[in-house]
Amino acid sequence: MTGTLNRRGFLASTGAAAGALTFLGPKGLKAQEGQTLRYALSTYPPSFDAWASTGSAAGAIKLMIHRGLLSYGPDGALRGELAENWEVDDEGAWVFTLREGAFWHDGSPVTSADVAWTVTEAQKPDSAALFQAQLALITSVETPDERTVRMVTDRPLATLPGWFAHYHMPILKDGEAQDSLIGAGPFTFDSTERGVSIRLGAFGDYYKEGLPKLGGIEAIVYADENLRVTALEAGDVDLIEYVPWQAMQQIEDNSSLKLDAVDGPFMYLTFNGSRPPFDNPLVRRAVAHAINRDDIAAAAFYGRGGSLAHLPIADASEFYQEDLSQGWAYDPEQAQALLAEAGYPDGFDCVMLSTAQYGMHQSTAEVCQAYLSMVGINVQLDLPEWATRVQKGNDGQYDLAVMGTTADNNDPDGLATVLDGSLPPSFVRSYGMETPEISDLFARARATFDLEERIALYRQLEEIALETTPMTGLAWRSQGYAMKSGIEGFTNLPGQLTFYSPITLEDVMAG
Amino acid sequence: MIRYVAIRSLTAIFLVWVVVTLVFMLLHLVPGDPAELLLSQGSIAADPAAVAALRERMGLNDPIWQQYLDHLGGVVTGDFGASFRDGAPVAEQIATRLPRTLEIIIAAAVIAAAAGIPVGTYAAIRAGGRVDGFVNFLASAAMSTPVFVVGSVVILLFAQQLRILPAGGYVPFSVDPVQHLKLLLMPAGTVALALWAVIVRMSRGAVLEVLQRDYVRTARAKGLGRGPILRRHVVRTALIPVLTVLGLEMGTLIGGTVLVEYVFNWPGLSGYLVAAVDARDYPEVVGIVMTISVIFVFLNLAVDLVNALLDPRISLVRR
Amino acid sequence: MTRAQRKLILPATLAALVVAVIVLAPVLPLPDVRSMDVPNRFAGPSATHWLGQDEFGRDVLARLIWGGRASLFIAVGSALAAAVIGTVLGLLGGYFRGLVEFVTVRAAEVILCLPPLLLALLVVTILGAGTWPLILALTILYTPIYARVVYSATLQVRSLDYVTAQKAMGAYPLRILATTVLPNVMPPLLVQISLVVASAMLIESGLSFLGLGVVPPTPSWGLMIQAARGSMEVAPMLLLWPSLALAGTILTFNFLCDRLQTALDPRGITAGGALWLRGGGSRGAVPRSARRAAAPKQDTLLEVEGMSIAAQNAGTSLELVRRVSVTVRRGETVALVGESGSGKSITGLALTGLLPDALSITGGDVRFVARDGEEIDLGALDEAGFRRIRSGEISMVFQDAAASLNPVLRIGEQVAEALRAHGGARGRDVDARVVELLRQVGLPDPERRARAYPHELSGGQRQRAMIAVAVANNPRLLIADEPTTALDPTIQAQILELFRSLKKATPDMGLIFITHDLAVVAEIADRVTVMYAGEVVEDGPADEVFAHPHHPYTAALLASVPEGGTDRLVAIPGTVPLPDAMPEGCRFAPRCSHARDVCRTGSPPTSHPTPERRTRCVRWKEIA
Repeated sequence: MTGTLNRRGFLASTGAAAGALTFLGPKGLKAQEGQTLRYALSTYPPSFDAWASTGSAAGAIKLMIHRGLLSYGPDGALRGELAENWEVDDEGAWVFTLREGAFWHDGSPVTSADVAWTVTEAQKPDSAALFQAQLALITSVETPDERTVRMVTDRPLATLPGWFAHYHMPILKDGEAQDSLIGAGPFTFDSTERGVSIRLGAFGDYYKEGLPKLGGIEAIVYADENLRVTALEAGDVDLIEYVPWQAMQQIEDNSSLKLDAVDGPFMYLTFNGSRPPFDNPLVRRAVAHAINRDDIAAAAFYGRGGSLAHLPIADASEFYQEDLSQGWAYDPEQAQALLAEAGYPDGFDCVMLSTAQYGMHQSTAEVCQAYLSMVGINVQLDLPEWATRVQKGNDGQYDLAVMGTTADNNDPDGLATVLDGSLPPSFVRSYGMETPEISDLFARARATFDLEERIALYRQLEEIALETTPMTGLAWRSQGYAMKSGIEGFTNLPGQLTFYSPITLEDVMAG
Repeated sequence: MIRYVAIRSLTAIFLVWVVVTLVFMLLHLVPGDPAELLLSQGSIAADPAAVAALRERMGLNDPIWQQYLDHLGGVVTGDFGASFRDGAPVAEQIATRLPRTLEIIIAAAVIAAAAGIPVGTYAAIRAGGRVDGFVNFLASAAMSTPVFVVGSVVILLFAQQLRILPAGGYVPFSVDPVQHLKLLLMPAGTVALALWAVIVRMSRGAVLEVLQRDYVRTARAKGLGRGPILRRHVVRTALIPVLTVLGLEMGTLIGGTVLVEYVFNWPGLSGYLVAAVDARDYPEVVGIVMTISVIFVFLNLAVDLVNALLDPRISLVRR
Repeated sequence: MTRAQRKLILPATLAALVVAVIVLAPVLPLPDVRSMDVPNRFAGPSATHWLGQDEFGRDVLARLIWGGRASLFIAVGSALAAAVIGTVLGLLGGYFRGLVEFVTVRAAEVILCLPPLLLALLVVTILGAGTWPLILALTILYTPIYARVVYSATLQVRSLDYVTAQKAMGAYPLRILATTVLPNVMPPLLVQISLVVASAMLIESGLSFLGLGVVPPTPSWGLMIQAARGSMEVAPMLLLWPSLALAGTILTFNFLCDRLQTALDPRGITAGGALWLRGGGSRGAVPRSARRAAAPKQDTLLEVEGMSIAAQNAGTSLELVRRVSVTVRRGETVALVGESGSGKSITGLALTGLLPDALSITGGDVRFVARDGEEIDLGALDEAGFRRIRSGEISMVFQDAAASLNPVLRIGEQVAEALRAHGGARGRDVDARVVELLRQVGLPDPERRARAYPHELSGGQRQRAMIAVAVANNPRLLIADEPTTALDPTIQAQILELFRSLKKATPDMGLIFITHDLAVVAEIADRVTVMYAGEVVEDGPADEVFAHPHHPYTAALLASVPEGGTDRLVAIPGTVPLPDAMPEGCRFAPRCSHARDVCRTGSPPTSHPTPERRTRCVRWKEIA
């Protein structure tokens, strides 16, 4: 599924436009629809800044209001949105052809000038855009006509279309503020009660005919996960995001509700590579072998997830390597042997950073602690609230740390953020970890358009990663949306794309 | 009297200033960078350039004393600043959030007083008896059960099992009064339970003490009936300490209803404070803390004034 | 061991049990609280896991006990630390006042302005989560509470005579604080500590619930509740156990604290209650059994014969007044005389049905002739029955007017209340009558005084107001219980004069004047009844008794009065015996210089030296 990016975006780019047509429904349907869907958000968007990384809840709202050049369809395949076609021209530049009939919520048409403006604004150093650094690689944006955008880069970039499919990279209208709520998406912003709810209405001039099927969405914040489930059960809301794992069984057992969950996000351990003992790859690999990952999936995720004993590449991906998938498998004897080899036959004391703010981080840390103590590694937990945990992670104030995240998309390039030691220090990756070979392989794969070649590069990368263990995978976690059984059309996108799922709200029909 | 209020108010303002300064300084000691946090939502590695840009925009690169003076200057002119996160004016946010928390507290206080004073009085009259023992037990149990447990059980019962109340949330009164009151019921009831226990115990103690007073015997010697004695002599005097405690308890509840607001998804000031601290949204935190401490100190002053009004023996000037 | 102390046993045992289990956790045969058994997560109770297993398959019972250790350690630790710091601040602030007060007590109050949660949040985020930061946070939180309690207690103690005396003698302030003030503030402090421990446990659980508390895998009750809340649907019992443990422990501490308060407070206000307020078939009318057709003697107003009063408590009965007989005729003033503890005040209260709940009339006849000529058996009246005759028939003036007037009601209202209680006057009439009454009792500017609060009047004026309340409904019998004792000698004389003028104005009113002051008796009484240790020892016309006392006690009392020429006061050796240690035979014998063996064997019979006089001395003839 991950490969579709390449097949669509590079090998078979001309077929993309047809995809949108399949979504056209009979026009008559719209009359009897038009209900308002009550969508339970896990948190209120910290801001409406379109390009900043403001979290998945904010992403859901952005996916209602805004559209990017591209997106992912329910099957996880890259598809066109504001752009109906995208390809690399002979000079290695990406050319996007915009669709006709796309309008901003204020009624004006979406033009290539809007796209060019978006790219130029977001690539400015002070834009605070998630993709600012990537966009900065675009040296110029050309708009030969109203419907054509040409992005020129210094070197070929296979992954560029993926940026414009991200929910934190929507296209804004030329001259709008960065937190503008005027988009080209299926729903228009109506009103908000800050911290409580956001009301949206259907956009009549949305470019996909017959969509959205809903009359509007009321996004209500339910910060407490247990209450979110209760609200769904009590009928206060129609659809909830971030279903807590402990509630998945009871939702599945409830005939009036349904659950759509995929394994996408993953938990992993990061290390402080700047000081002993975790500057030693043997010790890191010992840790990787010391933890029984099934227990993490069982205890932290109530069995909703699975063991992850290699790099977080899903087994459905063409980049998945069957023979490497147990590279970090639970093997306490090997762990002890590795520790002895590293010069720690009797183990050592260390501090594990996690957070008490999120139950899954804490539970994962507790299980890791229990297993590490069995091989003689005496772990002391440090569980500050999230903000402190982020700071400590960035500053390397830990020996090893529990993290959980999703990659930007299903392409292994998305793993660079957790693996690539050449990137600036961040709590999402190991601190002070030198990974010259891995960084090099990421760069080479990025510049390669051939799938087989990329697969080979990533295999090599995974082998090195398993050996040097700059981080270690722990568990896949199930990410679920739950809804009333009468809700049709909502799809949880596969794998890492799960947080893109609110894009399917345009297809949703409340039964 | 006016002189007294003026002096107390000045002290109060001084106190609030100390609190604000303290919180401002402590906040900057607390680890966690607002810009970094804002840009790393969803566990995404924030770009250092973006963080630096945002820090500059937030004014975090200024020396701390300058940030402090800027902020204080703003506060004096009535400008609490804007949220780091989305630039929403803090004062406006507090103005929408505060009434919601006050609503819970006042509703809870009314419920607790209405249910607590008669029960406490009755228990005092029956002191040592079975009813008294039962009431005492009930009050102690209510006092010692954490609100989040009560909240969870109440939601399980009323929203999930009986389905007679919504599971939590908030609807403005102007939009749907009935729904608003329904939603208010559970959080207010939960806060009221703990408050009720305090009031029962306080009023029981106060009534017991007043019952031993000579003037109650005098009232009996006058040939007054039970009702008038209870109303005019016993409860009226006993109410003074009870109301004092109620007032002080209400003061501590402002900013102390965090758990209830969290459990019932009630978007009040306390939850706002926690979210602001979590996000290290300094202007918001300082603004909220200032609001809370202002209300607290002036509520204390009001309690003293009401006390003086109810009890002629208290002379404000002397103190 | 007093009753209050006995009642401490149960809660103290419970608390000790909780503490013992928690302290002994390391030696108890408990499974390791960290050892996980994920495949058996949420398993129910079994032989190895009595309370089942939690979300990691850990033993719930072990975690509960160890969790209590963490919770209790934090709670007790912070309560004690805060107590020490707060006490020091409060003592210093309360003793030195001024600037010291400002930097100690007032500074501590800054903390009260901060939302507790924010404070904890700040402390824990700065110092990191864990046991010690939590103790620090809670200590900061509770210090101002102690400071306040100790501060106000110190203020009270500081002005006491013995403290002032020590100060005057040049004792060092620190010494005074340590030796005199501190012991005095101990009781409220102890109570506060137990309260704070309970509240700290609650806050600890709340903070752990928010992830700001104890660091896993160390268990704490708050953490357990937080974890269990997520799996409430799967394993509800996991929520129940820690909640029960938390509530149960706090309940135990509250319980202990209540009882401790009772034991430490000798006044025992918490043990009271009010029997008279409890319903129970209030008939409102004088019961038939209490009515009798005709009066035995024409002039008799009140006839008490052989009345006994006893304190009943848990099956035991303690006689406080034994076979007392008093007669009051219309217009007569009878003085009831005796040292404190002689039972004279209780006798007075019994006649108006105002005895404390623990006391009751256990024998004898108490007959009162009402205005309509009907004779009422006061011993058979219930509260409602008494209510009808109070104020209008029998009224009472109490000793301490300052305490007997309601401090929060205006004088006029308090007099008016008495008037309205018997449905006499209404509206404007009441106001007029109030002013008239106040004028009658000699209050200057009665219109203004009617609007005053009791604390705005002088002691003498308050007593006058009290008398106005008592005579508002023209009682047939007025009982004055030591009405002049608390007053200055000059005021005493004025009040006596007032009684005399009242008697002149209402010649039919009987008056029982209870006092220990024979000089007063001589001025006002027609008859004297001398009481000792709950018995009437002598009775007769005032002038005769004064001239020729027929009981050694009366004689001794008379001798102790400082009269004109004598400046030496002859004190009676010894003290009045306590009710539970009454001597055999004559109760005065141990203190009597005339006592013989016969006095110590049998209770002396009542003799009548003249028809109008009685004495309970076998040797009355030998006493001049």
